[in-house]
Amino acid sequence: MSSEQTRMFFREAVSRAVREEMTDNPRVFVLGQDVGSFGGSYREFDGLYKLFGPERMRDTPVAEAAAMGIAAGAAASGFHPLVVITYMDFMMIGFDALINYAAKLRYKTAGRLTAPMVVKTTAGAQGQGVAHSQCIEAWLMSVPGLKVVAPSSPADAYGLMKTALRSDGPVVYIDHKRLFPTPGNVPVAEAPVPFGQAFIRREGRDVSLVTHSYMVRVALEAAQMVEAEGISCEVVDLCSLAPLDIATLSASVARTGRLLTLEEGQTTCGVGVEVAARIFERIGPKPWSRIGTLPAPVSSNPVLEAACVPNAGRVAEALRSLAGHPLTTSSFVTQEAS
Amino acid sequence: MIYQLSVPAAVPGVEEIRILEWQGEPGTAFASGDLIVELETHKAVVEVRAGQAGVLRTLLADAGDWLAVGLPLALFSDDADEALPDPALASDELVVEFDVT
Repeated sequence: MSSEQTRMFFREAVSRAVREEMTDNPRVFVLGQDVGSFGGSYREFDGLYKLFGPERMRDTPVAEAAAMGIAAGAAASGFHPLVVITYMDFMMIGFDALINYAAKLRYKTAGRLTAPMVVKTTAGAQGQGVAHSQCIEAWLMSVPGLKVVAPSSPADAYGLMKTALRSDGPVVYIDHKRLFPTPGNVPVAEAPVPFGQAFIRREGRDVSLVTHSYMVRVALEAAQMVEAEGISCEVVDLCSLAPLDIATLSASVARTGRLLTLEEGQTTCGVGVEVAARIFERIGPKPWSRIGTLPAPVSSNPVLEAACVPNAGRVAEALRSLAGHPLTTSSFVTQEAS
Repeated sequence: MIYQLSVPAAVPGVEEIRILEWQGEPGTAFASGDLIVELETHKAVVEVRAGQAGVLRTLLADAGDWLAVGLPLALFSDDADEALPDPALASDELVVEFDVT
């Protein structure tokens, strides 16, 4: 396969994947708020309305439960809908159709029916307050039958969306608002990214820092900060939250001997505890700690938002603590014990 | 006098832009308020307008190129026949205004 790359915005990576899959599979269609002539809330469907028209780029009212229900029903009847829920917080309104119907359909019908739908949504804090900032992917990871993926780069956005649109079961694909401004290189050749595969973004010897989505950038920044102090931090990007790539995660922690998990969601019943438990089931317990957003709703007040959400300084402090180096003074940290 | 036009930090959070279209070529004279170049971010187009009169001398990046915020886009001078520095760098920034749409 050619290794040639082309640079593009995050939204362009998404629209390319959707365009290619819609071209290849006439049963794929998109529904959601502003996905038609407007081109998507983040312009991630720019140009597709012109190509595929109103039948396959369907605008819906502000009615997430209905959109999710229509998608689940269409998926069960042989279509491959991509339903767009602009903010992940509003997926809650559509959980019944997604969780009780789409995710369970395969089990309820002894495999005779499946619901190959994709929910595309956006997580994360960016000045929009308590009901537009949440990261609830950990809730979704616990649903049998549901696949959950979250890219951290345009290349993975492209590749994961392609795989999602070929998957035979419901998939929740999660973008992050703060990732959109950053362009990235994407393979020129078609390059689906398989589910269930984590990626080592930075190699290290002392601590494995496991994270996903926008927090990969925060993790890399923190790893850079502690490098000068002699702490070698490996950064592992989950990409796929369900299924988890326990082999890659376990191998990394077996090598480094320590684990720090980082997520923008809550730590209680979070992605990190699941990652840690699954790794330790395989290789035995290791020193670890976890970082997430502080246990409060994320405010639209920028000072409070920044105080809640993990930043590189907080992650670096946890890395120092875990690596056995002395703590230096830093901002508001309530580092949880292992 | 020689001036440098750099990528303005027009949209919060944006570290890199793509050049959409130049509205002139080396030799083009711009009056204050004239559109010089359109830059593309993930969701907006930034129209960069001259905040002072000047002559476009050298393009340092072409349409379709990606450039980080703060990096030089072009050189301008007060007069069309002023000698350009070598290497092509200027200490003074061209005064610009920009609209984000």
